[in-house]
Amino acid sequence: MIPRHFQITVALVLLAILISGVVIIRITHKEEAMTLQASEAGPVAPVVGGKQEHIQLLLAYDEDQALRWRPADVFLPADRNLRARETLRSVLAQYLQMPSPHPLAKGADIRDVYFISNDTMIVDTTAPFADGHPSGILLEELTLASLIETLTANLPGIARVKFLVDGRERETLAGHADLMSFYQTAAVHEMAKEFE
Amino acid sequence: MALCSALAVSSAAPQQQPGYKSFPSVAPGAEGQKRTPEFFVMIDPSHGGSDKGASLGGKLMEKDITLRLARELRRELEERGIASRLLRESDIDLSLDRRAEITNEQRAGIYVALHAARPGRGVRVYAPLLVSAQQTPAGRFLPWDSAQSGALSRSQAVARAVTEQLRKRGLTVASLAMPVRPLNNVTAPAIAVEIAPDQDDPQSQETQRRQNSVTSAIALGIAEIRSQMGSRP
Repeated sequence: MIPRHFQITVALVLLAILISGVVIIRITHKEEAMTLQASEAGPVAPVVGGKQEHIQLLLAYDEDQALRWRPADVFLPADRNLRARETLRSVLAQYLQMPSPHPLAKGADIRDVYFISNDTMIVDTTAPFADGHPSGILLEELTLASLIETLTANLPGIARVKFLVDGRERETLAGHADLMSFYQTAAVHEMAKEFE
Repeated sequence: MALCSALAVSSAAPQQQPGYKSFPSVAPGAEGQKRTPEFFVMIDPSHGGSDKGASLGGKLMEKDITLRLARELRRELEERGIASRLLRESDIDLSLDRRAEITNEQRAGIYVALHAARPGRGVRVYAPLLVSAQQTPAGRFLPWDSAQSGALSRSQAVARAVTEQLRKRGLTVASLAMPVRPLNNVTAPAIAVEIAPDQDDPQSQETQRRQNSVTSAIALGIAEIRSQMGSRP
């Protein structure tokens, strides 16, 4: 007959193996999900060249409900559209890092930027930019003011900006801030001053 | 730009022009109440139905808080002898454009949109900010994006009066001008009030007490501005 203490030891060893197996499977699945999520949240536009430039970004800080200018070194190409896109992406990059002063959803990015006249620009954002944006008047307006002010500070001559989401018009960013209007940059400048 | 314009000032709709639209005279959102010349406040419990608004922790959604606040504000206004209507009485979907259309069609004296969202702990009072390029009115039609232009200074006066009342109650208040939908589409004086609930416990008694204090201050601010500016601010 097998001694009782031996039976208990074998049972415990088997139980430990079973638990380890379950843990390993869960970790593997989690890593796979994270890899998939990371690939989905990857860049939507090719990385562009250009020389490194020292620019100023107007960043939102949720905790203080404020906008503050911060320096950044960004690779900017000569083409005006690409410069605008990379400038905006450098703002979003600040919000996507951890910890973030103004968290945005993974995958928030700029799909394209183009001028429809010399002073009027269309900014086409990705779906996660709006779909995953935290809802609230202040949070949404801080995002738009941060992007528009950074844009006009680094690319003079832009008078009007309109945002699209995944190539289409959307009523609001996340239920509050107007996305249907063409934003006059002068009006946004006055609004942003209230937070600086 | 997909510019659409609304019948904003005319009771008898003139011939429709290209790029402009008119709307039915009956407002289903306000439960079919007929237009009257009497002064009343249109209270907008923002969001509703599938539009839940901001998530405020657990199952607490902005759309529920705004409806509760709207009912409380109606009670506060009634106590001061001021008539009011709610844009929604239940958990229904109502588009932003439709909210503005109903308010304009019924000729509200003042429009108040209620919101609840983070961050912060205080109250934020928003007056409209016209950010789109000014367009010329076409006859009796006003451009939809800047339908508020004729009432902007009165909206700012309402926002100042409400802010002052909130400050008198010792609440932390920020008074801002922002392009919040649908304030710019409303022809009456319009404001939005956003309450930032307690981050630790949005349903605490302290939060409830503060919310009641906010609605009371809004009602007092409206009563004050109405007495200053006559029956139609």
